[in-house]
Amino acid sequence: MTVLSDEVKNLIIETLDLEDIEASDINNEDPLFVDGLGLDSIDALELGIAIKKAYDVKIDNNSEDSKQHFYSVKTLCDFIEVSKK
Amino acid sequence: MEFRIKKCAAWAGGLTNENDWKAFANDEKKLEQLTPLPLLKQIPAMQRRRLSPFAKLSLQCALEAAGDEMGTVATVFASRHGDLHKTSQLISNVALNEELSPTQFGLSVHNAVGGQFSIFANNKAPLTATSAGEDSFLMALTDAVCKLNSNNYDSILLVYTDEAVPEIYQQYVMQDEVSVGAALLIERPQLNEINFQLTMKASIKDAVESKTMQVFDFLTFYYNESPKKLINSKRYTWTLTRQ
Repeated sequence: MTVLSDEVKNLIIETLDLEDIEASDINNEDPLFVDGLGLDSIDALELGIAIKKAYDVKIDNNSEDSKQHFYSVKTLCDFIEVSKK
Repeated sequence: MEFRIKKCAAWAGGLTNENDWKAFANDEKKLEQLTPLPLLKQIPAMQRRRLSPFAKLSLQCALEAAGDEMGTVATVFASRHGDLHKTSQLISNVALNEELSPTQFGLSVHNAVGGQFSIFANNKAPLTATSAGEDSFLMALTDAVCKLNSNNYDSILLVYTDEAVPEIYQQYVMQDEVSVGAALLIERPQLNEINFQLTMKASIKDAVESKTMQVFDFLTFYYNESPKKLINSKRYTWTLTRQ
């Protein structure tokens, strides 16, 4: 879990060109969008593609479930773990 | 047509300020082949991360030339090739059946940089994005002066940017290309000030594309204070004068 969360944080930073942010700046439980990290809707699409590519998981666009999966690093990691099985 | 230049800013080949450009215009400094990019630290990191090299060249010059007027001035953004490095990357992705980056796709239109400028400057004034082959710079100047006059604006901002094209396109380009941004804050002519005149007519028969990018002809004319400059392109003969 810890390893995966670091991996996901680095993926977020790299994919979204967050040049002034390091993995240790992102809390597992903090919201990724609007408040917290301050990502926007284009970031959501970009991140969706990156996660799909990196972990070969299927993401349902616009579903309520997807919104919950992308809420924080923790929810994203849980989603990846479950989907991989 | 006649106009005044309130402020000129340009960034290319290691030349970044007025003294550099004066030296360039007087043959004391040469353009380097590579153009180091501006840092643009005044733009918040969350906005800056979406600026391509093309966008950085544009915004550096736009913000410097616009100064206090950045929030209110109408703008003309011009480029011959646009952000071609971005477009050609997307085309490669399509060809290889890869997923497109939504961010890159969203910013691949010709007026994307104008949009990024307007977001940062909170500028809601009219904005156009133009392109006219090798005449892109002087056509945009024509467009800007026409808009200035017909709308009775106090000023208008012209922002011109082009990058050396990606390698796969280089065989199609005749010009010596250097990545460049330039911006002019333009006003109507004023008494007792130096004003500029620009005229154009159809080119002579069998004219060919110029080896020099128009923007560098213009910057040379502007900074070496010569009274007159003829600029020939495949389609037009342009005359710039100052009085």
